[in-house]
Amino acid sequence: MKIPALNVKTVWMLKKEIKEVLRSRWLILGFIISPMFAWFFQGAFLSFIVAQTSEEPEMVYITIEDDGVWGRTLYEQIYANRAILLIDPLVNVTRAEGEALVAEKTVSVWVWVPENFTVELNTTTTSTMVIWVNSGNFRAQAAAARLDRFSRDVIDSFIVIRDLNVNWYTISPEANYGHSLAIFLVMLTSVLAPAPYVGRSFAGEREKHTLEALLVVPMSRLKILGSKLAAGLILLLIYSLFTAVGILTYNLSIILRVANYPPDIRDLNINIYTVNVQTIPLIIFCQLLVLLCAIGIGIVISCLAKDQATAESVNNMVMLVPTFVIGILGFTGSILQYSGAFGFFILAIPFTHAILFLNAVLSGVGTPIGLLGNVAYLIGFTVVFLIIGAKLFEREAIIN
Amino acid sequence: MQSDIVISTEGLTKIFERGKKREVVALDSVDLEIRRGEVFGLLGPNGAGKTTLIRILVGLLTPTEGSAKVLGRDVVEEIDEIREKVALLPQEAGVYDRLTARENLVYYGGLYGISEEALNKRADDLLDLVGLRDREDYQVKGFSGGMKRKVLVARALIIEPEIVFMDEPTTGVDTLGARVVRNVLRRLSSEEKRTIILTTHDLNEVSELCDRVGILNEGKLVAVGKPSELEEKFKAANLEEVFTGLVTGEGVYGGVDR
Repeated sequence: MKIPALNVKTVWMLKKEIKEVLRSRWLILGFIISPMFAWFFQGAFLSFIVAQTSEEPEMVYITIEDDGVWGRTLYEQIYANRAILLIDPLVNVTRAEGEALVAEKTVSVWVWVPENFTVELNTTTTSTMVIWVNSGNFRAQAAAARLDRFSRDVIDSFIVIRDLNVNWYTISPEANYGHSLAIFLVMLTSVLAPAPYVGRSFAGEREKHTLEALLVVPMSRLKILGSKLAAGLILLLIYSLFTAVGILTYNLSIILRVANYPPDIRDLNINIYTVNVQTIPLIIFCQLLVLLCAIGIGIVISCLAKDQATAESVNNMVMLVPTFVIGILGFTGSILQYSGAFGFFILAIPFTHAILFLNAVLSGVGTPIGLLGNVAYLIGFTVVFLIIGAKLFEREAIIN
Repeated sequence: MQSDIVISTEGLTKIFERGKKREVVALDSVDLEIRRGEVFGLLGPNGAGKTTLIRILVGLLTPTEGSAKVLGRDVVEEIDEIREKVALLPQEAGVYDRLTARENLVYYGGLYGISEEALNKRADDLLDLVGLRDREDYQVKGFSGGMKRKVLVARALIIEPEIVFMDEPTTGVDTLGARVVRNVLRRLSSEEKRTIILTTHDLNEVSELCDRVGILNEGKLVAVGKPSELEEKFKAANLEEVFTGLVTGEGVYGGVDR
């Protein structure tokens, strides 16, 4: 059976586009290296955090204002178990000194047992101890968490029916960025990945004077654009494949890192830091949406830019600015915390929805309607830009 | 029966808008007829409208006024049918550097829906013709400018077009390379009876190859005819005198509306 001419032509163009990319060492390395790098970097970063939180001791300041039996018992137990709790040194300070350290932000962990601690336990069966922690410091957070758990165990072991409240306060709320970096990196590399291909495939054709001859072949410009887009998608599957490889390698690096820990700590770290393999298809799906959106924007830029270098520069600038804006906002709290015109602006950026989607998927807090909204916005944005790109590609001026 | 006229234009005008207020008239009411199998030379100084005319005839630009037909079909309404049978070698044409010489030819032919087997056979002949058979499997990024131009000439011919538009095909090609290109054009014309529309600044090339020439100046077609006819009409010793006189208005005694 004879294949329709249209399909044959499209296949020729797909083959040529892919062949050219595969012969471009740097382009293909970019498709392979950038997703691998993002996950390797994350693996190294979180391995560092694992080490910081599971192996490295933290300096803890402590103030025992209570002179009753339970305050003293708690202090003695903490002091006796400071090696297990990874506390080194444990420094006694007065309440005034502790408050001064917090005000100056020169303390990572300060534990304060108030003066009525024992009295409250004896009279109400509940008492409160306070922990101030620098939440931007992973080691400090881990030390505070250990102290929290340990203190509850101590109080419970002595007085089973009694309870302990631990009030946590954050010394530097602005430093609470933690794992947002991972999603940001995935976003950043995905947003930038298509730029070299799109730049070469559109602006590059014009710069190298191959476009004019291409536009006189018996194919509509829309089909030429579509063929190049299809080739781009095939190439991006390579990118996604290596993203999956990167995630699995990352998981392995975390598993190997904690292999020698006690079973409970090992399992805890694996649960916290590895990516659930079942979520990989969702991550890839989200990444493909981002890549598609980036291609759409890239095509518009490439159709307007004079040459490949200009297309890539403008593309990077256009992509990086909103990505950094939402990335930085993501580090300082929820992207959705802003309202008014700025909030609207943030939500208008397509990659915001990719981050919201990924965050929701990875943390398991997404609702079907919310996720669907994110996906619909990304697809809608992409379609609009592809239509604009098609219109630009059909202009007479495209050959000049 | 096939018409003898393969290209015809009537009042063909192209105006480019440069900003809101400025307009550039690239072609001004051009009436032209080109016959099947002839080598037609388009002459004119830079900016005269040669490339614009070719771009309209292959559907890259649409005329502002007037009409043009190629192989009896309208260039605006029936451009898809026209494109199946014409090839363009643009003035500043490029090759795909990461493809080999053969791949450049075969890929381009593939976009016309020609089978790979037929394309490879044609590529053998064309690569022989332009003297690149021994380099056919080399990526063209290492080729000289002249070699790339030969690849482009071969590429334009792989689809076996009825009409070939060649915008300055020997520009940037060394003497030997230019001779190869000219021999190819001669063979296309004499043996294969293809129509060739050629723009060039080399008047010797025109005299050597072209059956007829058209001289464009500031968008207007100021003269059409055989080189010998034009020399006689304008009482000039050679084509160069005709050209210089028409473009500068000096030394030509024929009555030409300008």
